Amino acid sequence: MTGLPLPAIQAGQVLTVGLGAPLVSGAIATVEARLQGRRGPRVLQPFYDLHKMFGKESLAPTGSGVLFLAAPVIAIACYLSVPLLIPVLTTYPLPLATMGDILGGGFLLSFASFLVAVAATETGDPYAQLGASRAKTFGAITEPVLLMVFFTVAAITATDLPYALGETVRSGPAQVVRPAHLLATGALLMVILYETARIPIETHTGTNELGMIETARPFEHSGPYLALLHWGSMIKQLVLFTILLNIFAAPWGMASGTHPLAVAGAAGALIGKSLVLGVLIAGLDNAFAKLRLFKITEFAAAAFLLAIFAVCTLFLGGG
Amino acid sequence: MTGCLIALLLIPLVAGGVAATVRGWAGHAATIAAGLACLGLVAAMWTSVGRGTIAVGFLRVDAVSMVFLLGTSFLYAVVAVYTAGYLRAELARRSSRAGTRYQRRFLLGINLFVWAMLFAPSVNGLALVWVGVEITTIVSAVLVAIDDTEAAAEAAWKYVLIASCGLGIALLATIFMYYAGAQVLGQSYDLSFPQLLAHAGQLPATPVRLAFVLAVIGFGTKVGLFPVHTWLPDAHAEAPTPLSALLSGSLLAVSFYAILRFYQVTAATVGAGFAGGVLLVFGVLTLLLAALYLLDQRNLKRFLAYSSVEHMGILAIGVSFGNPIALFGVMLHVLVHAAGKGGAFLSAGAIVQGFRTKQLAHIHGAFDRMPWTASTFVIAIFALCAMPPFGIFRSEFLVIQGGFSAHHTASAAVLVLLVTVAFVGLAATTTRSIAAGPVEGDPGPRQEANAWMVVPVLACVLVLLLLGLWLPGPMGEVLHNAAFELSVGGGHGPG
Amino acid sequence: MHATGTTGVVMAPSVFEGTASTVAMIVLLLEFLMLRSALLRAQIRLYAAQSAVVSILAAVIAHGRSLPELYVLAVLSFALKAVLVPWVISRMMRDSATEIAGSGALGVASEVIVSIGVATFGFFAVGALHIHSTVLPSAALSLAVAVVLVSFVLMIVRRDVISQSIGFFSLENGVSLASLVVAAGMPLILEVAFLFDLLVAVVVFGILMRTHHRHVSSLSTADLTSLRG
Repeated sequence: MTGLPLPAIQAGQVLTVGLGAPLVSGAIATVEARLQGRRGPRVLQPFYDLHKMFGKESLAPTGSGVLFLAAPVIAIACYLSVPLLIPVLTTYPLPLATMGDILGGGFLLSFASFLVAVAATETGDPYAQLGASRAKTFGAITEPVLLMVFFTVAAITATDLPYALGETVRSGPAQVVRPAHLLATGALLMVILYETARIPIETHTGTNELGMIETARPFEHSGPYLALLHWGSMIKQLVLFTILLNIFAAPWGMASGTHPLAVAGAAGALIGKSLVLGVLIAGLDNAFAKLRLFKITEFAAAAFLLAIFAVCTLFLGGG
Repeated sequence: MTGCLIALLLIPLVAGGVAATVRGWAGHAATIAAGLACLGLVAAMWTSVGRGTIAVGFLRVDAVSMVFLLGTSFLYAVVAVYTAGYLRAELARRSSRAGTRYQRRFLLGINLFVWAMLFAPSVNGLALVWVGVEITTIVSAVLVAIDDTEAAAEAAWKYVLIASCGLGIALLATIFMYYAGAQVLGQSYDLSFPQLLAHAGQLPATPVRLAFVLAVIGFGTKVGLFPVHTWLPDAHAEAPTPLSALLSGSLLAVSFYAILRFYQVTAATVGAGFAGGVLLVFGVLTLLLAALYLLDQRNLKRFLAYSSVEHMGILAIGVSFGNPIALFGVMLHVLVHAAGKGGAFLSAGAIVQGFRTKQLAHIHGAFDRMPWTASTFVIAIFALCAMPPFGIFRSEFLVIQGGFSAHHTASAAVLVLLVTVAFVGLAATTTRSIAAGPVEGDPGPRQEANAWMVVPVLACVLVLLLLGLWLPGPMGEVLHNAAFELSVGGGHGPG
Repeated sequence: MHATGTTGVVMAPSVFEGTASTVAMIVLLLEFLMLRSALLRAQIRLYAAQSAVVSILAAVIAHGRSLPELYVLAVLSFALKAVLVPWVISRMMRDSATEIAGSGALGVASEVIVSIGVATFGFFAVGALHIHSTVLPSAALSLAVAVVLVSFVLMIVRRDVISQSIGFFSLENGVSLASLVVAAGMPLILEVAFLFDLLVAVVVFGILMRTHHRHVSSLSTADLTSLRG
């Protein structure tokens, strides 16, 4: 049997992420509920939610501009572009993968987050604005962390391509146990906890508006736009998981050829790995308490510490 | 002679053991006997060290060690006698059971402390020197707190924390020196001096420099070098007087001994210029700080503590000159400072006991109340000011002469200037209070300290006078050898 | 365009070196955790963990570099520093009702930032000396110096006797780490002498802590200001 054409695989990457994201989110929610002794929602519940919301009418607050409605659409477009750049299914770079490097992916993610925040400030809702301003405040600390992580990647591989790092990590255990790699992975995990609205940053299922950051921003959106924002959040989560897993922590189980079965297996492997990671994070969620808001800087400072040391050990040699 | 060395390190332990179990005068008798015996043993070893080294097992004594052993054992004997009188007054305030316990602890502590200070200069190797200095810290920290007052607890805590951190750095220095040595001597050598000095020329320069700087900061904490001297005035002021005398006259010197050992290796590896430069910077800053603090000091024992800081600064500067005359002066200075500071602290302790205050402002008419103590105190202070005809004048003169003849003209001039400032502080403070007449209407009863407390001070003053007027031949020989050992192979400057 | 990894600007260390550096890095991270932990007992546990990690590193080196003496050192240092010393300090604490360390002189985030600065300084200062060891990568030496420097920050910003003594003991852990890097072959008898000294120091710290507690009725050192000048 012949292999799939490369553009098809690339489209497959986007599809895997786009459709896998609600599945992963639903599975994590179920596991979380079980850990807390509840029965919890069905695994496919996010699909039903999205379906329901797409069928509803949408309202915009008076006085809000065009950006309020455009932001969810552009944001999800950004989120769906990132899988073009990162290794989702294959170990080798696909045709469009080199049109942006790891910084490019970072830019797309921050741009989306920026648009959502701006859309939130378009409304008059104090909670949405609170969430937006907080997200940007703490983002000022977490984004340098990401930069440091990228520097680490650059120093290890001499490129800024995500594929190259995955390749390097696969090349042997020496690359796995080196402190720079482990520290960068740890820092990235902490940033992901922050970005996906997990404890100890916030209770992502909670209803306490004063403690919200990420979940407060789409308060004024409704109907299909709300669906897009929710879906976008799920996609962002899976994209970040993919970056952590397929580049840093576990770049194994991806297709090295173009055979359809290999590619399909890689999609399954990604979802499986994401579920394992999700369960781990749900476990963390259960084990820790939410930090008070002003303690979040400490959390971010800890991530920064890891990232700084990753860079430092590299430049000292022996990292 | 090896027998003497082993006995020297056993006697204080035995005396400590005896003093910890008996009551009454027996403990004092044991301590005094041990002190005199140690002084005798050191004197017996003195001449044979003039001709070489005494080595047995991990012990090794050369001329440099000998100087420090003499200072310590002299103070041991003097303090042992003084303690007998000092504790009589202290115990009068306690119940007899508490008094016995206090005396046992006190004498055990003093004996152990002296043992550690005799141990550190007698061992062969930088690692063991570190161990010895660490033991001195541990024992003396407990002794500082023995009076169980709030101020003593505070001083002891600051002392143990700061000094321990300093010694942590000194341990790092030792490790780096080991690393440097291991590059040449292989992994299994034990930092012993003959090996290190014999191969000093081939050691890698960077680790040795690093080790030296760390050693100066680390051991310098215990010497009282600026800026890590901050524990020193507190501990000296709050410790019981016999301990203050030992701390100041002996402990600081023993810590300085550790620096000297690093100096020897470093000077032989990278030249005396680098090692001297480091010591010069620390020495000048230390001296400057001490001179300024001496100008306006209200607490009698803190006042003496800063004088100790001053003299440690002089030692550091003296070594930095690196020429044999200055080093000879430094070695002599170690001895005369022990005698001078011992005498000053011990008589100050008698004054503090007599007046029940350490505040200089409340000590007036000392000459009327305690003529012997007050006059020996004033003599000791003038000796510490380096007035002729006392020994400190001779040692400081030699240091300065060495500085000029080694063409360290500017440093020597700074030394003279700062010593003069310190002189003004010492002399002015003393004449303002101790030597001042009684305040009107407060003649105070005459209550001289007992003979146990006067005789040791007289001994110190006599030694100061003797060493100022005449240096016995054997003593000069050992000091000369010590200075030679310190300056040899250092490639020191002209002179 | 596509780098293969091994041709990168920074060569990967061997598996042994990488593992050793990672373990050394854990020692430093534990030091940072001590800096932020507010509970005194948590701090003691962190110290125990740090000592255990240092002992494990000694065992790793003993295995990886065939230095059987270090096994003895690892066992001794584990027994002493990871078990005995924490136990002694916990005993000392039992008399005191204090559980929470008073707030430090700085906020936690500022402390961490200051310490990052200090540790980075230590990193590069030592890195610039080019002291290479045959036993461990030189990054481990830089990490050891960073541990020492951060423990100084801990002692400076904390204002209670437990944190300050834990700071000193962890300083000693940093020195042990450094000695594993540059002096792994040091005769065992000297290492044991160092450890023994530490034990005696712990006892003395304990005695003075009790004296302090008796006089001040707290573990705080904020009032230790009567001696000045």
